[in-house]
Amino acid sequence: MHTLWLVIQREFVSNVLTSRFMIGFMVCLLSTAVAVFVQVDDYEKRLSGYNTAVREAEAEAQEWDLYVDIKPKAHRKPNPLSIFNVGVENDGANTVTVELGKPIFEFISTIWGAPTQKRGSDNPFLAMFLTVDVVFIFKIVLSALAILFAYNTISGEREDGTLKLVLSNSIPRDTIVLGKYLGGMLSLFPIVLMSLIVALLIAVSSPVTGFDGNDIAHIVLIFGVSLLYVSTWYLLGLLLSVWTKTAATTLILSMFIWVVLTSVHANVVTFAVDKFSPYQSQPEGAFLQPAFDVWDEYKKERDTYFKQRGYDDLKASVTWEPETESTGVGSSSYTGGYFRLRRYGVTSVSKADTTIFQELLGYQERLRSEYAGKAEEILNKPAEERERNAKLADALSRISFADVYHFAVGTIAGTDRQSYNDFIQGSRVYKREIVEYLKDKEAFSSRAWFSTDKGAADLADLPVFKHKRLSISESFARASVDILILLAWNIILFMTVYVSFLRYEMS
Amino acid sequence: MILQIAKKEIHHNLTTLRFALMIILLPVLFVANALIYSLGDGGYTARIDAYNERVRQDRKHIKAQADISLAELALRGPGDIPKRPSRLIFCAGGVDEVVSRSIKLRSDGGISRSSGVDDEDYAWRHPLRLEYKVVSSGSHSTGRVKINWVFIGVLMSFFAILFTFDAIAGERMRGTLSLIMSNSVSRGQVLLGKYLGAFVTLTVPLVMGVLVNLLIILLIGSIPFDSADWLRILGIVGLFALHISVFIFLGLFFSSRVSNAITSLVWLLLTWVCLAFVFPSLLGIFVSNLNPIPSVDEISMQRRAQLDQIEDEWQRGSSPRLKKSPSLERISVTRLWSEYFTVITDMETQIADGHIDRQLQQVQLARDLTQISPIATFQYAMEGLANTSIVGYMNFVKQARRYRQTFIDFIKTEDRSDPESLHIYPVKEGLSQKPVDPDAVPVFEERISYRSVLSQVGLLVLFNLLFFIVAQVSFLMSEVK
Repeated sequence: MHTLWLVIQREFVSNVLTSRFMIGFMVCLLSTAVAVFVQVDDYEKRLSGYNTAVREAEAEAQEWDLYVDIKPKAHRKPNPLSIFNVGVENDGANTVTVELGKPIFEFISTIWGAPTQKRGSDNPFLAMFLTVDVVFIFKIVLSALAILFAYNTISGEREDGTLKLVLSNSIPRDTIVLGKYLGGMLSLFPIVLMSLIVALLIAVSSPVTGFDGNDIAHIVLIFGVSLLYVSTWYLLGLLLSVWTKTAATTLILSMFIWVVLTSVHANVVTFAVDKFSPYQSQPEGAFLQPAFDVWDEYKKERDTYFKQRGYDDLKASVTWEPETESTGVGSSSYTGGYFRLRRYGVTSVSKADTTIFQELLGYQERLRSEYAGKAEEILNKPAEERERNAKLADALSRISFADVYHFAVGTIAGTDRQSYNDFIQGSRVYKREIVEYLKDKEAFSSRAWFSTDKGAADLADLPVFKHKRLSISESFARASVDILILLAWNIILFMTVYVSFLRYEMS
Repeated sequence: MILQIAKKEIHHNLTTLRFALMIILLPVLFVANALIYSLGDGGYTARIDAYNERVRQDRKHIKAQADISLAELALRGPGDIPKRPSRLIFCAGGVDEVVSRSIKLRSDGGISRSSGVDDEDYAWRHPLRLEYKVVSSGSHSTGRVKINWVFIGVLMSFFAILFTFDAIAGERMRGTLSLIMSNSVSRGQVLLGKYLGAFVTLTVPLVMGVLVNLLIILLIGSIPFDSADWLRILGIVGLFALHISVFIFLGLFFSSRVSNAITSLVWLLLTWVCLAFVFPSLLGIFVSNLNPIPSVDEISMQRRAQLDQIEDEWQRGSSPRLKKSPSLERISVTRLWSEYFTVITDMETQIADGHIDRQLQQVQLARDLTQISPIATFQYAMEGLANTSIVGYMNFVKQARRYRQTFIDFIKTEDRSDPESLHIYPVKEGLSQKPVDPDAVPVFEERISYRSVLSQVGLLVLFNLLFFIVAQVSFLMSEVK
């Protein structure tokens, strides 16, 4: 045990005293500080945009006095952990408008009045710069540092001739390997820790970023995963150091692998999948016609019902004229990829007998929401295909453990694509809640659906969209695959280093 | 003597591991680049087709309006102005996916007039103005690194470091440096020899990769090159050479500076990581944060407020200035309308132009400052030559504005030749009601200027000189042992 400690100490001291330690420390600290500064600013902007949107939506909700008018919105709340990993936080929709007859779907091509809306960036041209966040810096700089610490552990000592001296002592080889590994990690540990502490300090000093206990737990988990990642690189460096004869070869080889794994591999894969898209069957526009057909089916079913009930000529039973200003009942028309009501006004509501209307509406609106769900399934297909492409690209990127790390942290921070999809899915669940709420209140067939003359709609207990953040155990469970992959790399690399060093020939 | 040293250096390099690694990686990337850009979705063919379609539609639009009357054309505008897609997008993607492909110069929406005016059926239009569309990045692919020549160039700078870190420090360690110096050869010659050796080892595989890349693209045939493109490609190869050369000098500097080859590599790598990854992006975003611009919400609020103010004065309120609709008989009313339209158009134009100008200025500043990294300079120069740079887009915006003026001037001149017209622009009733010859309408032609590249080339040359001098001085001052 004592000898192990000695090896660790020696390794640690020899690392810390080098110029590369100081330089690496400074580079890491400075770039982390700047990146966090930039990201905090960005987060503040997102948060104020979110708050404005929520306020506007609340003001809008005050205006609703008819059930038919309600258009609640689901807002995507900015994630405070995006300060560490931006992920897709700036991409995709921020607001989903929930309407009864409106399927929730996402097209890349812009559609008029789309259900999902994105807040415009203040300066879209800035997208020409890569987004740099703490995790990006860790991914690139820390990995480079780990290699710079590891490359000469064995091959360097061998060149210096000190390896012979070490081995001539009665220290078992496994102790040396373990000591060198732990010593190296011990010297990398303060860099990771300090960088994260600096990041946290800058983040907390901003008035808007309130981290709660859950966030802190997530940050600790990110710290743990970062250490695991650094350890992977260190072990790789160690392995190459055992395998090669000279320190220079180790360094060249490991730097080459570093460049390929951190910058070439994932970019080539993602770019190729993006350009060749194996899952893209049809252009987005092709999905509109099937959705039209669904809408026609709906009209057919509704009209059949109307006929069955003997109301095939509504105009005869109720006086109503199309396109007048007064509130009214809906027929339907198709606009811009989703279903809207064409307003039909009931002239002089107070005098007209609207019981038939109310009955028909009770049937029709229920049906409309059902068919909107069917259309949603069709219109959601392009997004599903995009997701499958992206998943393929992710799976191929995972060959490189640098990207495994990136994915793991994105998942933990909740800024990955999955979390975004959860938001969109959440807005669909919210829409179902709204429909259930309306059904429970029998709002479809109530008079307040279309007229305020006998009292406005009671919307006091209208469900509000709840933003769900994952608990630490849920995040861990989600990221577990990526964390396990990193762990597996660590174990494999360590075993290989261990075995290789045991069989190492001193010549 | 220089040649001899260079030759020796090349022979030495050819047998090394790093050369093997480079020889593996370079062709893979070049072939991937050629295949992805000529066969993948959204390639040049799709882009140029979309562009031609746009141009064709614009011509149709102009013809349709011109056949009705000059006044109709004056109000509707000439349509969208598309930006011609670059053929060399596989060299440098630049801001191509960030900026919009066209600028709107038309007015489509008719707005029926609000109450307070007598003839209710009169519908007027806002006269045309430039509208800059925002690109909605629906996919999550923006902000990703693209596999283009710029990316390969960045990797080449990495290899330049790998080939030079031990050029002097290594010889010093092995003791061969003193043997060389014992010959009748100056230190400058040694340095130049080393430089040439590394340069040739790096550029020959690069040029071969470029040729393979171009050959694949030509064989697939989806991107047609003309002679100007070949010149630009030649320029791009020149940029590669300048860029690589900067990093060779940098490598030689560190190599002569420190006693140990490994230390020199460690330093070089940290420098490279900063120059390639940390610096350009981080500094760019940082600088733009220091120079904040009003947010989209603020701009639209400002616009709404000003619009409300104008409307209050002209259309709404107790005594609106516009009480009657314009017509051929009521000249003074028509003049009032013209004044009103001009006020609105000026306001809208000022806000839209001001907004995009500030956005572009912010980016420009960030871009200028990031040029302290030679890698960023190289990237901007490549984008400039491929005509995908932000400067190219700025020029396009400027030309679109100029075209708008040309178009308005054309309308006014044509209008003057019609004696029946009231010559009041931009009111429909105040302009000539006769059709115009659609072929006489000026056509937008984008003139691409590569002048901005000169400054980057100059900067790269400067970097070369600077690092050459630094390397030379540090080698002169260094100890042989």
